[in-house]
Amino acid sequence: MNLLHATTRYYLFLALLLFAVGSVGLYHGINWALRTEVSEQLTERRRELLAKAHANQLPPVSQLAILLDVSRTPRPVGFRDTLLLDRTEQEWVPHRQLTFPMVVRGEGPVWVSLRKSLVEAEDLLGVVLVVMLSVLALLLAGTVLLNRWLSARLWAPFRHTLAVLRRYDLQQHQALALPPAPVAEFTELNQALNGFSQRLVADYESLREFTANAAHETQTPLAIMQAQLEQLLQVPALAEDPAAAPLVADLYGATLRLSRLHQALSLLSKIENRQFAQAQPVRLDQLLEERITQLEPLFDARELRYGLNIAHAPVVVQMHPGLADSLLQNLLQNAVKHNVRGGELAIFLSNTELIVTNTGPAVAGDPARFFERFRKHNAASESPGLGLSIVQQICGYYGFGLEYQLAESGTQHRLRVVFAPGPAVPAGRPSGPNRVAFGEKKQPGAVFDV
Amino acid sequence: MKILLIEDEAALRTALMGSLKQAGYLVEAAADCAQAYEKIGLYQYDCVLLDLTLPDGSGLDLLRALKAQKSPAGVLIITARDALTDKITGLDLGADDYLIKPFHLSELNARLRAIIRRRQFQGQQQIMFRDLVVLPELAEVQVRGEALTLTKKEYDLLLYLLANPGRVLTKEAIAEHLCGDAVDAADSFDFIYTHLKNLRKKLQEKGADNYIRTMYGVGYKLSHE
Repeated sequence: MNLLHATTRYYLFLALLLFAVGSVGLYHGINWALRTEVSEQLTERRRELLAKAHANQLPPVSQLAILLDVSRTPRPVGFRDTLLLDRTEQEWVPHRQLTFPMVVRGEGPVWVSLRKSLVEAEDLLGVVLVVMLSVLALLLAGTVLLNRWLSARLWAPFRHTLAVLRRYDLQQHQALALPPAPVAEFTELNQALNGFSQRLVADYESLREFTANAAHETQTPLAIMQAQLEQLLQVPALAEDPAAAPLVADLYGATLRLSRLHQALSLLSKIENRQFAQAQPVRLDQLLEERITQLEPLFDARELRYGLNIAHAPVVVQMHPGLADSLLQNLLQNAVKHNVRGGELAIFLSNTELIVTNTGPAVAGDPARFFERFRKHNAASESPGLGLSIVQQICGYYGFGLEYQLAESGTQHRLRVVFAPGPAVPAGRPSGPNRVAFGEKKQPGAVFDV
Repeated sequence: MKILLIEDEAALRTALMGSLKQAGYLVEAAADCAQAYEKIGLYQYDCVLLDLTLPDGSGLDLLRALKAQKSPAGVLIITARDALTDKITGLDLGADDYLIKPFHLSELNARLRAIIRRRQFQGQQQIMFRDLVVLPELAEVQVRGEALTLTKKEYDLLLYLLANPGRVLTKEAIAEHLCGDAVDAADSFDFIYTHLKNLRKKLQEKGADNYIRTMYGVGYKLSHE
């Protein structure tokens, strides 16, 4: 229920209540006024009759009885309501009746009942009520229509603000520029939001600059450390001391790890900062073959069998060459790292997708969390666990789809990158006859678009 | 062999100079573009090590100047990882090779050797070390005149060792040399071990014993004695 509906609802409720009370009051008021009027008319006639009787201008009772209800026996005196049969319409009609004693000269006292029909009064009441109810209905309908119109018109700036906020992306590095609205409250809201986003952008910007500077400034000392440690390893004295050399070597190894971690993190932050503007056609098939040739010794060392299948070469994808390289490298490295000795690795590349399938131990946990930073399958692992996170960022950057699937046996992992996620393609579909596959038995795994 | 090192970070420059001098090169250094222009205007170098990001200009302009002078010097670009487009421009401009910072000094030696070898048409086209002779043009290895059959990786490994004689090579540096720069080193140590074992065995069979020494916990070294 939106705000306007809620207020309208209360309005309508109040209007109904007031109209009900008002109608009852009006009914009784008009009723009372009409009866008073009729009573006054009756009293007036009584006064006339009594005056005539006093002046002895009245005809004898026998004649009088034709015109008036006259009785020689006493009747209860005063006003009362009574029903009389209307002979022409055959229905009981309410009447007001005034009974009083009167002395007709020479004939003694008689009791006269004067009557007046209340039918006109009731008709009037009916008309009044109908008018009231119509006004009520019109008012209600009017309120609803007015509110509709208001919500379309008065609330338009608010809706605009909301739409802008929904689309807002901090990574665009742009503060909101919401225009002043015709309504003061909305203008205030927009101003507050503009200020808020300006602060946010400024904070984000300074944080980003800090990270970039920190990354840049760490890079050089790391390079120096690495070079100097390598030089230190060449010192002849070190070779003579069997305890010292491994210490330096460990230090050297740790420096390398730190520098690799540093590179991965600055790559991530560069992608987030959209610093890879120049996309160009990249021959992904060539790049993939290069990368695989480079990794072959690693495959051999781990006794991995691999299958590479490139459908419809050349495969050209629009992206930054560095990111393309990073994407392939991280996917392949992930497939090697989480493989088992003597396992398998299959890579399928076409114009629309890249699928890397590898055997490996079952991994517990939510697949969506595999893409988190510093997420490690094995806590003791030396790798920082940024590979898939980088893959995810690159896919997100270019709007590629990214899916992870675990085969039924729980030992076969599959990562699929869809270059142009257009109309949804059912996952797990064999794509073409020359697809490399081993033991394909897929379960609908976790599928998420990045 | 004369080398010009253009690098703005003093500490890194010192480390690189130390390593290059150890490898037997004559090294001169420049800290910025101005110094570098002066040096390339005055002297001839066999190879120029060029950092692309310099305080007073781009290394790419220096490269253009070198090529405009028709300098015979080989050019090895040193670049940060994020400047990949610069790297491609550099290669298009005629640089011989590139190295991404941070790199292993032994890798730098290997790249320098390769560049110099390719550029030295008048010099000897073979590498000699003790009883070993390598003919890089033919990818042939001989021990005392006898041919040695090696796999591609074993040959690469031997060349790498020969580019750094007497120098301790860390297993990380060897792994990255054979497997590309970003391979997670921990994954790849077992395969260098296998390749080294095979290479040693083949050398030993030809009587070239004790060429490759294991430095416990550190790496390997091609030994002079």
